[in-house]
Amino acid sequence: MARALPVVVAGNPVERLASLFDVHYDRLYRLARRLAPSADDALDLVQETFLKAARFPRSIPVGTTNEEAWLVRVLINIRRDQWRKTSVRERYDKAGFGGSHIASGGRDPEAALIARTAVWQALNVLPPRRRAIVVMYELEGLAIPAIASLLGISPITVRWHLSMGRHDLTAVLKGLYGRHQ
Amino acid sequence: MKNIRELLRDADPLRYEPTWPSGQHIFRRQAVLAAASGARAPAGVGARMRIGIFATVALIVIAASFLGPRVWSLLVSDLQAAVRFEVRLAEDRPAAGLREAKVSGSNRSVYLHDEVIVTNSDIAGARIVQGGDPSQYGVSVEFNASGAEKMRAATGNHIGKPVAILLDGQVVMAPVLRTPIGASAVVTGNLTRTEAERIANGITIQ
Repeated sequence: MARALPVVVAGNPVERLASLFDVHYDRLYRLARRLAPSADDALDLVQETFLKAARFPRSIPVGTTNEEAWLVRVLINIRRDQWRKTSVRERYDKAGFGGSHIASGGRDPEAALIARTAVWQALNVLPPRRRAIVVMYELEGLAIPAIASLLGISPITVRWHLSMGRHDLTAVLKGLYGRHQ
Repeated sequence: MKNIRELLRDADPLRYEPTWPSGQHIFRRQAVLAAASGARAPAGVGARMRIGIFATVALIVIAASFLGPRVWSLLVSDLQAAVRFEVRLAEDRPAAGLREAKVSGSNRSVYLHDEVIVTNSDIAGARIVQGGDPSQYGVSVEFNASGAEKMRAATGNHIGKPVAILLDGQVVMAPVLRTPIGASAVVTGNLTRTEAERIANGITIQ
């Protein structure tokens, strides 16, 4: 099995944080945008993640892969805390349970936008870690072992979250599209 | 009828929004670094900064390529004795006066400058550090005042280009320089404790 080459990281905490930001910002923003309700929320989420890194510089492991995993887990935990503060009712309303059905198909740009928004909001029913797993697998194209490694959990757990996430999403989307989708 | 993956891909906001909302990246970066500067302010740090121990050190790496176990074993077995440690500036493209060198464990070549920036004699100390996983270790290297000054002077105008780290003449990594390097650095690569100890002990032998 291949092993990672040695890498050099900064000894100065601020310089290291600057480099962490430059190296991982794009990846974190892309994940955050897919976990948070809006672009502004995603920016705040990423910023909060790096602020946590600034507060606990000694807990950040060395090595690009380890850094990424640490930052991703922190980001998901912050999002989880935010998600828990949101009422169940609000989450389900945002997920479309409180709204009317949307029309599928058609070429009307406005209808397409509404449909896209509704589909995306359906993700709100998923707890952040499960949502992150669905996003990483379905949108980022990561393999299950890679997701497991990134999140520090077993592949079996990843599969279970993926299965539950798909099940929950299917239920919400059936509610949105009716039985025809 | 679309499946969940297709529906999510169609709905993915990143398909329709800019990756980084305009200007936000720089603004957020400044905010984080300002907070970090304020967060670490212990008196001891200031004192050490004055004597140069905490001079600016850069993250030079993004290189996360992989090294085959065979090559790695050979490399580590050579580290039983003293390790000749060198840092040299390098280029991605050939040019007159540069020497081509393969980066261990990869197909990548870099082109080394003749001048050696620092060697073992410029190192104040080296010690092993815990990696991200309990079984992983790295080596923390601190340059002495002379070494730190050499690193700072040599790397200041080399941003965006590779720096080669050589152990016993082999280029073990050539990360792209992102900011100037100063007095300390941590070398890591999923080393075992034994491997890290060999390297740390070898580097400090003059």
